[in-house]
This record gives sequence, structure tokens and C-alpha cells, in this order.
Amino acid sequence: MAEIKLNNLTKRWGDFIGVDNQSLHVQDREFLVLLGPSGCGKTTTMRMIAGLEDPTAGEIWIGDRMVNDDLPKDRDVAMVFQNYGLYPHMTIFDNIAYPLRVRGTDKSEIKPRVEKAAEQVELTEFLHRKPKALSGGQRQRVALARAIVRTPKVFLMDEPLSNLDAKLRVTMRAELKHLSRALQITTVYVTHDQIEAMTLADRVAVMKNGIIQQLGTPDDIYNDPANLFVAGFIGSPAMNLINGSVTDGMFVTTGGTRLVPVNSPDRAKAILGVRADDMHVHEQGQGDIDVTIYAFENTGESTLLTVQWGQQRVIARGDRHLRKDQDEVVGISLNQDHLYLFDPETEDRIRM
Amino acid sequence: MRDNTLKYLLVLPAVLVVFATAIWPLIEAARLSFTVGRLNRPGSLEQYLGWENYLWAFFEEPAFWNSVWVTAVYTILTVGLTTIFALGLALLLAPGGRLRSSAQTLLILPFAMSPALIGVSFRFMFNPEFGLFDAFFGVLIPPLADVSWLADPQLALAVVVMADVWGWIPFLTLVLIGGLASVPRDTIEAAQVDGASGWRVFKDVTLPQLAPVLAVVIILKSIFSLKTFDQVFMLTNGGPGTATQTLSHYIYFNGMKYGQIGYSASVAWLMVIPMIFLTYAYAKFVFRKADQ
Repeated sequence: MAEIKLNNLTKRWGDFIGVDNQSLHVQDREFLVLLGPSGCGKTTTMRMIAGLEDPTAGEIWIGDRMVNDDLPKDRDVAMVFQNYGLYPHMTIFDNIAYPLRVRGTDKSEIKPRVEKAAEQVELTEFLHRKPKALSGGQRQRVALARAIVRTPKVFLMDEPLSNLDAKLRVTMRAELKHLSRALQITTVYVTHDQIEAMTLADRVAVMKNGIIQQLGTPDDIYNDPANLFVAGFIGSPAMNLINGSVTDGMFVTTGGTRLVPVNSPDRAKAILGVRADDMHVHEQGQGDIDVTIYAFENTGESTLLTVQWGQQRVIARGDRHLRKDQDEVVGISLNQDHLYLFDPETEDRIRM
Repeated sequence: MRDNTLKYLLVLPAVLVVFATAIWPLIEAARLSFTVGRLNRPGSLEQYLGWENYLWAFFEEPAFWNSVWVTAVYTILTVGLTTIFALGLALLLAPGGRLRSSAQTLLILPFAMSPALIGVSFRFMFNPEFGLFDAFFGVLIPPLADVSWLADPQLALAVVVMADVWGWIPFLTLVLIGGLASVPRDTIEAAQVDGASGWRVFKDVTLPQLAPVLAVVIILKSIFSLKTFDQVFMLTNGGPGTATQTLSHYIYFNGMKYGQIGYSASVAWLMVIPMIFLTYAYAKFVFRKADQ
């Protein structure tokens, strides 16, 4: 059990900055997700914690020890790799037992511990097989078992679900969550999948260009995004971002529609953010504004209406029983409690 | 023309060339090995002798067994040393290793030299009067100052081995660098995080995954070591005495120098036998790799 502290951590390769002067404090027993698009520095950050990458500057603390100069083997972390990193020439039993063996665990202890770990991930019947004879999901479980077979200070997981098919990913996600709750070990989890981040995390750190854009609970980053990037990255479908200005306390779209009152001084340029769920669909004439349907999609659990709004298209979520068709006209109203205003220059949130 | 016919027609020239340069000589050598086969005796190339030549090699010729022994020692030493050095260098030069590309380019130089040239250079370098190595050893290790390397039976063999190891390290290193590059990086990193030391990562994870490539390297080098001729011919000519006489050299000597073509053909066929096993093993490993 340990907390992780990163102090002004930087990783540079020549001119390329992977992680830029980043500090982060992961609490003891916390499940922290590093979320961001590829190349944002999230994997690099994790690899520096594991000791697989040397930081250019800054300090890494695990527990009360600065581990910058420690080899990976001395950091007492366990890691799950994106491609699982299983040893192809060893049986599943030997794969799971390996961390115990290299750490000189007593022989009589190895078998029960491997069996217990295998049981936790439901692998007991495959222990004598080689990794090649297992499916992707089963290999993922082996990698997990190898991580949980001993009790490390920290779990590191590098996109562990990204090589699985969509259906399996959902199952494994739940298993991971269940397991991590049971084990109560500090975990850093890297992903580019916002659903994984939202569902698994105690706190999410959204990264871009080597910098954490926002650090907060899933609720925080969904309901209270710090800037345009976080707002656009979190949520599916992505938050609608409407260009316009603020005039006399009203948000006016670029097309000249006076849309909604906003609590902000006048500004020549502003972006209004509104999630699909906060755009209510009405019959023609009954909303704040009438728009034409560009595309109507029925996903089963709800309906998605892409509507043409001046030069822009925005997405509204409708009731699952709603049936409309392309080119029909509907009314739209905005939930005024959940509107976000951003500065297009700095991309920062304008608090209202 | 049917595709089927065309496909055989297209490989026909290659088959003919292989037949003329490899298969036919092998058959002809097999025939000769059962004849008296003296170059200086007209008609003896057709004079059938039965298994006499083979029996002679086995039971009457200590020089044959000597060359078998020399070849065995030579092969074990060169294969072992070359593989070990090449593996060490490959680990240093592989992506993520400690040395990189400029060193790789430099490394290939010895392999670009012909074995005969390597033989000549080493003979010069170990010349007791003006040899570079001879002088070096004399300064670095004074007790070795008066040693005539190529005149001492054991040391002469050591020099031949050294020349061969030197010449072959680059090629094997390059092959092993390729092999190391195909070992998945995350298995190595997983072992590091799991708590393995550098040595254990190598022993438990890298080496087992490198094993198929290593096997190919060892078999290939064994084939080349077994048939070594040019270096020995240029460096020591089998001497002093017959201390460095490999099988190839023995075959050449009996056939070309003494004119005993029949006898040398039979020894040559004796050498074909281990070669067939090695080649078979080689093919098996290479094609097994292609299957995966």
C-alpha cells in the first residue's frame, strides 16, 4: 500500500516533449486513470513510474521512497501490459509464478498463491497450457493474475483492455472493477477510452500534450470540464460546441440566432458547450428554435438526432420511442443549468 | 501453355545448374570412391575396388583419424567461441543495447574479407620475425615473447581457430541482432517489473525466445566449420606436421597432391554424412520458423 507522488516530472526526447513538468499525487488505495488521446504522454508517465523509462527531470516517489534511481525490479510495482507481455515459452502456471520465483518466495508457498490468483481471475483449468493456446481475454486474465499473485505497492495498467473485442471489454471492465475494489491497492490505469476512465476511476487525470488538463472525479470531469479539450473529449456523443458571441447577456450564434441567456459579460467570440442529453427535442415550434434533421439514428436505448443549425451540426439525444425522419423539422430547447462557455482563444472555461 | 507446365519450365534452368554443379559431382564422387582412382594410372578411374577405400580410411590410416580429430576440435571450438562472442556483441548492438549503428557498420568488415585473405593476413601477423600479433603478445605478455605460434602444434590450431572466429563473428552477430529484435519487448519489460535482474531476464525470457535463431546459427556455423579449407590452406597448410589438418584439407591433399582420387572421394563421402544430418536439422529449424 502506498501513495505515488510525481514532482515536476519531465520527459524529453530531443525536441519532443513527452511529459511536461507534470506533478501528480495519487492517494493510497486510489484508482487513478490517466486518460487522453495517443501521444499525450499518459503511457510515458506510467512507464516512468514503472522504471521502464528514465525521466529527464523531476522526482518519482512511491510511498516514502524516491525511486528515480531504482531499477524496475526494486520498485515493488506490478504492471499489466497492452499486449499482455506473457512469456510464450512458459505455461500459465509458470507465467503467474514468475514474479514469486524471481523474488525468492518459498517454494511451498508458490503453488497455493498461484492457484489463488488463478481462481480470482477464473483461470484454474488452464494452468498447464501455454499462452498460445488461450484466447485474448484469457491471456488478459493471465496478465492480471501475474500482477495480483503478490501484493505490490502499486498496480500499473497500460491499456489492458484495448486489444479485446468490444463485448469482452465490457465484461472484463466489470471484472477489473470488482477485483480492484477487493484488492484495495493503489492503481494507475492508462487508457484512451473515456468509458473505461469514467467507470473505473476514483479520479481521472485528462492529459494532452504532456500536461494534465484536469484532475478530478468522473463526475467532475463530466459535469464540470475545465477547458474545451476536456469538454470535447469526455462524453459520447461528444459535447456540442457552438461558435458565437455574448451580447447583452445572451449567447448569439455565428448565424445571428439569439439562443440562450448566459451569465457573462459581452465578448466578441465565445463557444457554447452543451451535451446531447441537455438538448431537449420537441415538436416543431415548441422549442427555443426550430431546426432541420440532418440524420436520425436509433441506437435502441435512445435516439440521436443530428440537426443542421446554421452552418453547424449538433447532436441531440431524444427519447427511445421518438421516431422522426431526415429533413423533418423539430424544436430544440437547451437545459440552461448545464451550459458551458469557453474562450476560443485560450480554450479555457468561462465560469458563469 | 498451361500454368503447370510453365511453372516447371521456369525452374528448369535452376534445377539444371544445381544438377550440373552439385548433384552430378556428388554422384561421380560416389562412383569414384569405389574405384582404385589413381590420377597417374590410366584406366584406374574405372577399376572397381569395392569398399576397399573406406576400409582403408577406417582401419589403416591414422592420418584420417587425425584429421577427423582436428576437425572435431576445430568445429567445437569455433562454433562455441563464435556463438558466445556473437551473442555478447548482439546484446550490445541490438536496438536498446549499449552500442549502435556506427559500430554495426564497422563490425561487418571482417566478414567482407575472403577466408583465404584472412589466412594470409593471420600468417603474416603471427610471423615470428615481423608479425604484428607476435610482437604484441611479446610486449603484453613477456613469457610469450619467444613462442613461435605457427610452429607449435597446439598453438597453430589455436591461431587457426582464432582467425576463423574473428572472421565469422560479424555474420553471426548480425543474425542474432535480427533474432533479438524479434523477441517481444514487453515480455522483457514484464520480467523487469516482475522483479528479475538483468541476468535472469536474459536467462528466463530472452534466451528461450531466442533459442530457435540460436539453433539455426549453431547449425549453420557447424556446417561451415566442418568444411573449412581455405583458411587452413593459407595459414598453416595443415602443419606443423598434420596438427591443423582438417578433413577438407586431408581430402585435398590425398586427391590433388598424391593423386589418390578414389580414396579422397571416399573420405569426401564420409564427410557428406554428418553434413546431411546438419543440413536436415537446419532445414527443419528454418521451415519450422516459417510455419509460425
